[in-house]
Amino acid sequence: MKKHPQLLSLFAFIALIIFVVVPFVPLILSSVSFSWRWPDVLPESWSFRAWEYVLNDGRTWQAVGISLWIALIVTAVNILLALPAANALVRYPVRGRWLFEAIIFAPIIIPPFISVMGIHLTFLRLGLTETVLGVVLAHIAPTLPYMFRAVMISYQTLSADWEDQARMLGARALPRFFHVVLPHLLPGILAGASLSVLISLSQYLITFIIGAGQVVTLPILLFPFVSGGDPGIASAYSLLYAAIAIAALVGMDAALKRYYQLNKAPQDLAKGGKP
Amino acid sequence: MSDLRIIDIEKRYQAVQPKNDASFMLRPVRLSIREGEFFSLLGPSGCGKTTLLKLVAGLLQADGGEIWVGGENLTNVPPESRRFAMVFQQSLLFPHKTIEDNVAFGLKMQKVGKKQRLKAARDMLEQVGLAGFGNRFPDELSGGQQQRVALARALVANPRVLLMDEPFSALDPGLRKEMRELLSRIQKDFRVTVLFVTHDRDEAFALSDRIAVMGDGQLRQVGSARDLYERPETTAVASFLGLRNILSGVLKNSRFASSDGTIETDVTKQLTDGAYFMVIRPEAIKAAEGNQLGHVSVSGIVQELKYGRGMYSLKVNAGNQLLECVVTTTQAEKTAVGEPINLLVDMEEVWFLKE
Repeated sequence: MKKHPQLLSLFAFIALIIFVVVPFVPLILSSVSFSWRWPDVLPESWSFRAWEYVLNDGRTWQAVGISLWIALIVTAVNILLALPAANALVRYPVRGRWLFEAIIFAPIIIPPFISVMGIHLTFLRLGLTETVLGVVLAHIAPTLPYMFRAVMISYQTLSADWEDQARMLGARALPRFFHVVLPHLLPGILAGASLSVLISLSQYLITFIIGAGQVVTLPILLFPFVSGGDPGIASAYSLLYAAIAIAALVGMDAALKRYYQLNKAPQDLAKGGKP
Repeated sequence: MSDLRIIDIEKRYQAVQPKNDASFMLRPVRLSIREGEFFSLLGPSGCGKTTLLKLVAGLLQADGGEIWVGGENLTNVPPESRRFAMVFQQSLLFPHKTIEDNVAFGLKMQKVGKKQRLKAARDMLEQVGLAGFGNRFPDELSGGQQQRVALARALVANPRVLLMDEPFSALDPGLRKEMRELLSRIQKDFRVTVLFVTHDRDEAFALSDRIAVMGDGQLRQVGSARDLYERPETTAVASFLGLRNILSGVLKNSRFASSDGTIETDVTKQLTDGAYFMVIRPEAIKAAEGNQLGHVSVSGIVQELKYGRGMYSLKVNAGNQLLECVVTTTQAEKTAVGEPINLLVDMEEVWFLKE
């Protein structure tokens, strides 16, 4: 019996290596190789050509900036949409609740391509194609369900007693939200925000159709190289993309931790005072 | 005077047809609670006592009736502006705030300056015996301490009425007793009006100036603990208060005969003839033989003998009636389950009620 946990963690470790670490190895090798053809196990010659191209190209950094900017706005809009929606659907006896939930969750099930084809025509008429605003609007459909789900679950675990208690202490609607509801929802909002950022960063087709090549995000830049151009440059872009995604996640996590630390600061000071 | 007056407040179930008579969650209640009074709502779960409390708080919307404090009609005032405070069953301390900030929260909402409100919070924490805990977080405190903080937080903004919804029922018995004493002392010190909801008879009796017994969504009887216990108006109140020796019977020409024939006796009280229930408190029965003035003798067979807090409680099968009584340990040692026993009922302590 005692062996089991060790065995399990060993398997988990092996799985981690195989599925997460190993795929990065050829990516890294490919990004620093000059030419790497079948049947060579390792590249014949090494070169930083791909990296030089990727990192020195002004378009790369512009694309990183636009990708992050879009992801940020999409996430902010998602938070603003998901909070009242989740509040209403969890707290109030809404007639036809399933219908509202179905509409919000539909983009997870229906390929976004389908809806975007329809939106495209409307956006053309409104002049929203080829604009960052258009891309942001288009990104909301596939990302909102995740944000909504995370916030909804947070709301479900927040008993109405907490707000009642705050009311009885004289707190009006806004202070109630900021002092009681928001701190409780924050971890859920962060989980939703992480997903929202990652999904927005990874959109290719939607960005391509609505942005029409004028809004250049990282996937738009990456795609031509993958589909036949230069595997070395494609690898370098992929790694850059992964690095940015991880940095975004770590950054958000750090922000949450910092928020909690700031709130706990008085206690830490008090504890430091009396060792 | 700022008495709390509850005038015909009522609440119906939502889903049922409005004209259906059985759809009341709370039938119209009329109560007047004096300033500084400790008033309890006592009843089994589901009797509407928490509903009434939440209606007074404003957390539930009443379907009719008014709430007044002094000369001010609060019926349409939202709960956050009523200057009431409430302590719930759970302490509901905001987990991300320190104890001090929790206690000061009400003052913060009133826009009291930081220095002033933290000082008030510290003073209040001292009152509840938690001086020096201000910088901790709620999860570092025990259940009893958390509830003390909740009490301090409720009182710090000087509320007109303190509402309490079974605040001690999640605590263990020893702690509960300690908290009762603390609450009793603080209530007297601050002269705050308290409306207290509980299902625990001992708790209501120990704390309250007056008690309202509730059942089936209505007030059954209002009075002091002693009034209720010694002169219940209905069998429902009597049995809820633990008075289980209720004998139905007929009173005719100052003579009461129970319908099962267990007891037949003269009654000295001035009562009109008719059907009555005779309520005998367990303390009004003693184990003894012979004839004593003003006592009625009953004999039966001991069915159960239980020890509790220095006394034995006895269940005696007398005819078709099960009588509960308490006897001293020496008396209990003389008898055993299945043996016959003679009891004397003190007629002075017996209560007749008509239904």
